[in-house]
Amino acid sequence: MQAVSGVLLLVYFRPGPEAYDSVRQITYDIDFGWLIRSVHSWSANLMVFAVFVHMFSVFFMKAYRKPREFGWWSGLALLGLTMVFGFSGYLLPMDELAFFATKVGLEIPASIPVLGPALVNLIRGGLEVNEFTVQRFFALHVVVLPAFFIGALGFHLWLVQRHGNAVPPSEDRKPPAERHSVPFFPHFVIKDLAMWLIALNVMAILAALFPWGLGPQADPIQPAPLGIHPEWYFMSQFQALKVLGHWFPGMAGEALGIALFTIGGALWGLIPLYDTTTAKGRRARAATWFGLIALAGLAALTVWGYLDKAA
Amino acid sequence: MNYPSWDVPHIGSGWVIGLIAIFHVMISHFAIGGGFYLAIAERKALREGRNDWLDILKVHSRFFMVLTAAFGTVSGVGIWFAIGLAAPEATSALIHNFVFGWAIEWTFFLIEVAAALLYYYTWGKVSNRLHLAIAWVYAGSAWLSLFVINGILTFMLTPGQGWLSVAGSGNEATMFWHAFFNPTFWPSLFLRTLICLSLAGLWALVTASRIDAYQMPHLKEEIVRWSAKWLIPAYVLLPLFFVWYLYMVPETQRGLLTLGISTIGQGVFTQVTRSALITIVTSGTIALIVYFLAYRSPRDFAFGHACSVLVIALAATGATEHTREMLRKPFVIGEYMYSNAIRVKEAEAFNRDGYLTKSPWVRDAERAGWQAALQADPGAVLPADAQAAKAAFGSLMFQGQCLACHTRDGYRSMKRLLKGRDRAAIASMIAMLHDRPEDSPYRAFMPPLVGVPAEIDALTDYLDALNRSDVSRGAPE
Repeated sequence: MQAVSGVLLLVYFRPGPEAYDSVRQITYDIDFGWLIRSVHSWSANLMVFAVFVHMFSVFFMKAYRKPREFGWWSGLALLGLTMVFGFSGYLLPMDELAFFATKVGLEIPASIPVLGPALVNLIRGGLEVNEFTVQRFFALHVVVLPAFFIGALGFHLWLVQRHGNAVPPSEDRKPPAERHSVPFFPHFVIKDLAMWLIALNVMAILAALFPWGLGPQADPIQPAPLGIHPEWYFMSQFQALKVLGHWFPGMAGEALGIALFTIGGALWGLIPLYDTTTAKGRRARAATWFGLIALAGLAALTVWGYLDKAA
Repeated sequence: MNYPSWDVPHIGSGWVIGLIAIFHVMISHFAIGGGFYLAIAERKALREGRNDWLDILKVHSRFFMVLTAAFGTVSGVGIWFAIGLAAPEATSALIHNFVFGWAIEWTFFLIEVAAALLYYYTWGKVSNRLHLAIAWVYAGSAWLSLFVINGILTFMLTPGQGWLSVAGSGNEATMFWHAFFNPTFWPSLFLRTLICLSLAGLWALVTASRIDAYQMPHLKEEIVRWSAKWLIPAYVLLPLFFVWYLYMVPETQRGLLTLGISTIGQGVFTQVTRSALITIVTSGTIALIVYFLAYRSPRDFAFGHACSVLVIALAATGATEHTREMLRKPFVIGEYMYSNAIRVKEAEAFNRDGYLTKSPWVRDAERAGWQAALQADPGAVLPADAQAAKAAFGSLMFQGQCLACHTRDGYRSMKRLLKGRDRAAIASMIAMLHDRPEDSPYRAFMPPLVGVPAEIDALTDYLDALNRSDVSRGAPE
């Protein structure tokens, strides 16, 4: 869905100084341009959501355990790539919201001590978000990220083929004779086709009822509109930095926030090495609690972020 | 403006009708198709001596009876209440033309409800032959009630030149059958009949999904597959009848569908294209979803699957009903009455004599104050009572001419649509709606704004105040 709608958008999108005009043309002048763009944006959001759901279901089903550790790590890489896809794509229309959301979004990596500012200047193509940033994000979005993504996805699927689907712990505890399963082909594929069609319907309904609009053209000289924030999947990090920055003014807050997410992310990635046994042991329970706390924390920070914005 | 206006905050009165109607269509069309389903399934079971099928049909008929005879009938009455409140003038016009049509429909409806109750409560108590006959009586009367109401519903979109030629003359009854068998009657009847058959299959799948596949694998397989086949006629024939239907719709109305192909701009005018798109995608894929989910894996077909298919059917129904309603714009009864209850023939008189001149909702004191305001020099500061009268007139203009489709701050919100416009911009917008130049994009969707200049000025004041206020309900300060 993303590849097809993305290629169709490429036909009319012009990166650089004309980015806004070309997206305006796609949304308001070209037959079904609004539909292709809305499908691309909605399916991007649904994709991020689906990746999160998949990750947490793999986590709670303990599907990262041996021999599937590399499946877990390649999955995390795919999550990271998906989020960068989202971030880089969000700027491309260059309307007011995209511009300022990217500007504040880049504050997250910029707060990394020492390396942060230099890294962000490299991504941005200068000290400010401008048409050079669009050019860089565009190259990243349509060439670099797809190349990495295809490789990582291929590896991820190859691992699934090699190790097979993980058995949920509840099924694993049953004697083999009592386990229910269906062959992948044709049974599972046919059900999956139905689910794809249902997903297509969800997408069509969202794109038709809530087509992706376009705000006024970004004007860097104007102050940022009130309550500007990055996309929902970066909201938890954004809110954490904001709150910690408020509690611990100056560098301390930022450093604490970055440390929290780095350590949390590292522990999250290393979970297959900690929770290795199939039995319902202490480590298994601790991992589940860690997952629940992480999920609740991310959800709470995201909701808090939106409430803060509304207040 | 003979009737009071119904001010439903945020969603507007139209959506009250819409929400009830969408659920009603889901149930009432099931009530019709489901009648045929029960009759044909029972006939098949009796011929093949399948008592296990009869047991399931009895369960299905209980579900059918409770859903259709309770929710279907209550929501039908709900539509009457809602249209009576939201569009009394149009409802009155329809009753005056179709009072006997409705009498016929209610007769069929009474037979239908009585037969539904009889059908369920006589399982195993009367002969098989008689029980099956009751099913056919039910199915026939239910379909005939659709036949009648279809005439009235399609009349609203395409009343036909025969009826329009006598409209307002007092001799409308002479053209009853012209109005009834109007240009879209037959394609709409076939379309609705196909939808009834599909919904019969979809709702039967809800019952079929609850058959225990471990205890009765073959029965579940048979009934799920047999029910899924009820979608085939619609899947094959619906596109043909849909094209026929569109062909019979006047070109001006058909043009509304294409407005949103190239843009999401122009306010809400392009919504109709998008809701038509939902109709196409949902109805184009639902049979495939049923094929993959139910027909190919009948034993695994679970209640959740059946519910997800029903949700898509609900989206299809909602989008289709919304599209059909929007196709009538700017009329509520094609070429006869605008969506804000102003008859096409009355517009000129309202522009000449005033929209509120004969309104029963204006008090004598207000009218006196209003006369003072009319006679005052333009730009002069009005006395307090004249100002109050002007504000009341502005509010009445808004209620009479805008509230049928717009809300202050919700669906088709006036605050959102007027955002960023000052009084002069609002005045020129209203002038454009009043003059309706040929190239106006609003012409296709919106009725003309009627009234004498002073009334239009009062409405401009009202909208300007609304635009600047935080008041969401009642007259803006």
